[in-house]
Order: sequence, then C-alpha cells, then structure tokens
Amino acid sequence: MKKAKIRTYMLNLTPLLGLAVLFVAFLAFGTMRDINISYGLKSIMNQSVVVAVVATGAIFIYTLGSFDISLGASAAVSALIGAMVYNRTESISAMAAACIGIAVFIGLLNSVLASVFNLPVFVTTIAMLSVLNALVLVLIKVNGTGSEIAVPAAAVRAINNMPFKIIVLLCFFLLCVFLFSFTKIGRMQKFQGGNPVCAKLSGISEKKMAIIAFALSGIGVGLGAFLSIIYAPTLTRNTASSVGMDVIIAIVFGGMPVSGGARSKIYAAVIGAFSMTLLGQIMVMFNLNSGIGQMVKAVIFLLVVFLATSGQRGKMLPR
Amino acid sequence: MKKFWALLLTMAMAVSVLTGCGESAQTQTDTAGNAEQAETGNADAGDNAAQAEAGENAQAEAAGLDMSNTVKIGILVSDATTAEALAFRTYYTDYIQKQYNVEMIYSDELTDAAGETSAIDTFITNNCKAVISFSSFDRAAQIEQCEGAGVYYAVATGTLTEEEYETYKGYEHYVGAIGPSLDVEFETGYNMAKHYLDQGKTNFAIFGGAIPYYTEMHIYRAAGMITAMVEAGGDGASYQGATAKEAIIGQIFADGEVKTGSVGNISILGYVGGYDMDDAWFGKCAQMAQTTGLEVILAVGNGSDFFGTAIAGTDVKIASVDAYASSYGEAMEAGMLDYLAGKFSASIGPIFIATYRAALGAPVRTAEGNALALSQGYWIAQNAEEFNAYYAVDSSVEAPAYTKELLDTLLTADYAAFEEFVGKYSFEEIQGM
Repeated sequence: MKKAKIRTYMLNLTPLLGLAVLFVAFLAFGTMRDINISYGLKSIMNQSVVVAVVATGAIFIYTLGSFDISLGASAAVSALIGAMVYNRTESISAMAAACIGIAVFIGLLNSVLASVFNLPVFVTTIAMLSVLNALVLVLIKVNGTGSEIAVPAAAVRAINNMPFKIIVLLCFFLLCVFLFSFTKIGRMQKFQGGNPVCAKLSGISEKKMAIIAFALSGIGVGLGAFLSIIYAPTLTRNTASSVGMDVIIAIVFGGMPVSGGARSKIYAAVIGAFSMTLLGQIMVMFNLNSGIGQMVKAVIFLLVVFLATSGQRGKMLPR
Repeated sequence: MKKFWALLLTMAMAVSVLTGCGESAQTQTDTAGNAEQAETGNADAGDNAAQAEAGENAQAEAAGLDMSNTVKIGILVSDATTAEALAFRTYYTDYIQKQYNVEMIYSDELTDAAGETSAIDTFITNNCKAVISFSSFDRAAQIEQCEGAGVYYAVATGTLTEEEYETYKGYEHYVGAIGPSLDVEFETGYNMAKHYLDQGKTNFAIFGGAIPYYTEMHIYRAAGMITAMVEAGGDGASYQGATAKEAIIGQIFADGEVKTGSVGNISILGYVGGYDMDDAWFGKCAQMAQTTGLEVILAVGNGSDFFGTAIAGTDVKIASVDAYASSYGEAMEAGMLDYLAGKFSASIGPIFIATYRAALGAPVRTAEGNALALSQGYWIAQNAEEFNAYYAVDSSVEAPAYTKELLDTLLTADYAAFEEFVGKYSFEEIQGM
C-alpha cells in the first residue's frame, strides 16, 4: 500500500522532475557547448512568461473538462486594443487595463453565449476564434499603418525587464493558487470537472462555474497580451498566433489531465511552459531547430505525458 | 511488466532519435569547420578547393583575418517552405557552410515580431556572432536588439527604408543590407508590363500578392506595372487620376489594392490580392484567370502556382516575380509561365561575406563609416531555354553563381569594390567575372 502511494506520489512529480532534468540538461549541454547561460536563462524567462501566464488562467477552464481554442486570438485582439489605447492615452496603466478588460470581456462573452444557446463552451470558443481572427485584421487595417499597430519601443523599455515579468507572473500565479487550492471556487471547479452530474445534484451551477473560469482565464490572457506588447511592441496580424496551441501543449506537458476534475494541478501550466522552452533551447544547441527537432520534441512530449498520466488511468477518483 | 517494456522502448526511441540527430548536427558542424575534408570525394573539386583555400588564406592574411575559429551565424527566417526560401537555405547550408568556417543556426519559421525577438535571444545565448535576417516584422527592433547585445546584424534580401537607414547606418553592429531596392522593385514591375505592352497586349489582370498587407515591395512592383500601362495608354491615360510614379504608389497605398478599370487604351480586367489560400480565394483566382478577353496576368509574386491550371489550354500569359526553382521551369515548359523575374540563390553570398568579415573584425563600411546599402536586381527569363540556363547555375551546389573563388575577392575588398561587385548582378555579368 505504502509502495503504491510512493509510486503515485512520484508519478505526480514527473512533470516537475522532467522540468528539473531539462534544466540540468540545459546547464550541462550549455556548459559543454560554451553557450551564454545567463543570457539563456533570461531568454527562457522571456519566451515562457506569456504562455505561463495565459496557461495558468486557462487551467480553470481545463479543470472543468472544457477548453478554449480562442485564447491566442483573444490575446491578439486584447494586445491590439491595448496598443491602440496606449497610442491615444500614452498611459501604460490604461494599456494594461484595456488588455485585461478586453480579454475578460471576450472570456465572459464565450461563457455567456454558451449559457444563452445552451451549448458546450468550447463550441462557442470555436466560433469566437473566427470572429476574433477577423477582428484582428479589421483593427490593424482601421487603426494601424496598414500592416501593424506599434507602441513606441521607448514607452515600454522601462518595464521590459526580468523583475517586472517575474512579479507579474508570480502575483497572478499566487492569486490562482489561492483561488484554486484554498477557496470554494477551486473545489467546486474540480468537482464540476470530475463529476458534472454529482456537482449539479449538489447545487453547483455549471454556468456559474464556466463564467468564473472564463473570467479568470481572461485575466491571464489580458496579462499575457500586456506582456506581449512589452516584449515586442510591434503587433501584426500574426501576433500571439502560436499562443493558443502553446497553451494547450504547456498544460498537458505540465501534467494536467485534459479531462479536468480532481487531478487538475494549478502549477501544471508554469511547469509546462518552462519545460517547453527549455526543450526548445536544448534543440537549438544541437542545431535541431527544424523538422527533426520538432519530432524529437514530440517524442519527449509523449514520454513525459505518458509518465505523468500513467497513474491516472484507473477508474476511481483519487481519495 | 508490459508497461515497463513499453516505457523502455519509448525511452530507447527518444534517445536514439536524439542521438542520431545530434550526430548529424555534429557532422554538419565538423564539415562546416573543414572545407578541405568536405571536398575530398572529388579530386578535381579538391584541387580547386585547395587552390581557392590557398587564395583565401593569402587574402585573409593580407586583411589580417583570423579564420581559424568557427563563427556561428544565426539566420532569421519568416518563410521556410517557398521555392525562394529553400533555394537560399540550400546555398547557405550546402555551399557556404561547407566552404567557410561557419555554423549557420536557423530559426523556426517566424510569424511575428515576438518570434524574431525570441529567435535573436536564442542566437545570442548560443554565442552567435552575427545574425542575417530574412524576416522583417520589426526590423528596427531586430537592429536595436543586436546592437544592444553586440551582435552583428545584416538584412539578407531587401533594403531598409531611407528613414530607417538614416537612423541605423552609424550603428557599429549594423552590417547593412543587400537586395532589391524599392526602385529596383518598381523597375521590375515596369519592365514586366512593358514586355507585354511592346507586344501589343492591352488586356491585363494583376495578382497583388501582399499588397493588402501593405508590403512595400509588392506595392512598388504593381506601381511599376501600372506606370508602364499609363505610358502606353495614350493621351490622357491615368490610373485613378494618377499619372506620375509617386502618385500611383500613393494611390495603391491608400486603397490597399489595385483597382480594375481602364488606363487609357489599356484595361486592367481583374485583380486578386492577399494569400488567403482558402476555397473562396482560389475561386476568385480561377475566376480572374478565366476573364473574357484576358491576355496577360502580371503577378507581383508567384503567379503560375495560383493561376497556371486555370489558364491551361488558353493563350493567356503569366508573368511572375520569385526565384529560380524547378517548378517554374516545369511551368514554363507547360506554357503556364511566360516570364520570370527571379532572385538567384547566390545573391545572398555578398551579404554573407560582409557579415562574416564583420564577425572577424573587418567590417565593410562606406567612406563615412556607414553600413552597406546596396541594391541588387533579378535575373529575367523570358523562355524555357533562358530559364534552364539560369537554373542550371542557380541550383548548383558545386559551382553556384557566386562561387567561393568569387566571394573570396570580397574578403579584402573596400566599399567601392564591394559595391561594384554587387552591382554586376546579371547572369552574363557574373559569368564574365
């Protein structure tokens, strides 16, 4: 019995161990190949932070056993509108508020539409993806120079640094940990995702849970959009286009069960985002930043997910 | 037990893939580091390489260049699949990397400015001494980032705007740009349209490529085409009231498209822009290609791939601007392409040398100490025979248009000599070097 518990515990730790192994590998291979490790660590932070923030918020949606395919497009629209607000007000705070406000609005719209039409939420996110992609083009055409909307680089230079990004990530992460692990919201979300019928019979509103999850996810998307502008203040039609897929990969890579429920882990997003970036950096060290590199990443991804979920295939919920 | 074996097998697969790939990368690096070894398989080539290397060493010594250490160069790419992109990549990885002591590290296919910033960060982490960019979502940010990190930066196939050049020409780590200037792009479109106007053609359609995304080079090519039509259109001919080059460029910028209609005696019967690549867009392409009375489709980019099938069996001609790829040769043979203004893959050789020299501590600068801003044009093929002659040279990884022997002359060249070399870009001029 004790052995089984240890095994389960170790399997739960697999994503974290994976991250540690990748980190050690990065340092070891980096030292062997004489790379600039300190710059590399800064680069890893820069490349991970947006996905980590967006994915952390999205954990609430995944916990419900649902998913949002429009996260990347939502981040793009939020960033574009945030940039437009900055160009009119020259206020970084107004830009941040616009990014978060728009992203939360889009999230709420997704969940409310699902309630009105009584559809699974992910169905409305598919429709929203098309709408948002079209909106990106319209915003750029109407308000930009034709191909882009840019915030002056000098305006965001002061906050384009590691401490600021770490603080944003940490604050949002701690807020999510608190809500997820120490409040009724988190418990109800997990209950809803693990057993919707029992949750309903216990008086938990599926719609209310969806609205809360999408609102929290919206905050993450808005912060991600804000950090995107800080990192690269020239926004084009492809801005944040890869974020949606990266979020899904990061969440799964971090050991989050796609079915949601009681086994959901709030830290999965951060672990997954950093693991992915570390893996990418190691691939580049071996000049594998190409099709072969992608295949190697895929194999390692499968391996980590296999290990992380191998203890979760039983029919019984954890107790 | 079964699970254990499954796990073991997966791990073995992962390790073998990683190891196998690692070995190939190592081989690539080793090969890059030793040009002589790379050519031992061919005695003649080996002799030539030895001679060339001797010449290079002499020139390098004369210039005080220490070429003994492998120089890592990061390559930013926003396109990894088109014929042009593949031709450029082949030239760098299969020729340049084997001839010089360099290691090229390619980025993934970039889609936005954030991707460019991340890729440059990764290059800096990997001790790249220089970055050659084929990606232009945010040139200014790329130059600033490289300058801040002390990494040399060069634009591979294009030029900066005048305003950008004025801003960055004095940056220590900005090597410069070699590629078709906007004036060359305008002339390319102009000459393409004139070629058919001189044949008496009057009914045209235009494929606008990235005009809806306000890509300058495509706008200038289209403006060149329309300017030629205005000149040939007879008295009072104009495009939307514009007759001068600048006014036509401004009109296309304002509209974000080319308007159909009459330009004096000349007609623009159809227009398609963008690269939506969905069913509706392909439908529009087919519809335009089958317009009654249409004689010529002038494409600012690749025309034959999008319109070739639709014009099969008709007398409609297609003219494109792109690169020398085998698919265009097949299209010419099949009558689906009539005129090609193509970049030749070795055109990126001189910017490599400029970047390499900068990384070795001997940058090429103008007399005023500014970065390079040199223009280069296209090779024009008007029939399959011309195409095949150009393609044979362009696709060769043994003797491309700019061979090592030719490029070595740039290792010690001053700005004037560099400019003269780049200025002689036509097929005949290069063959005569």
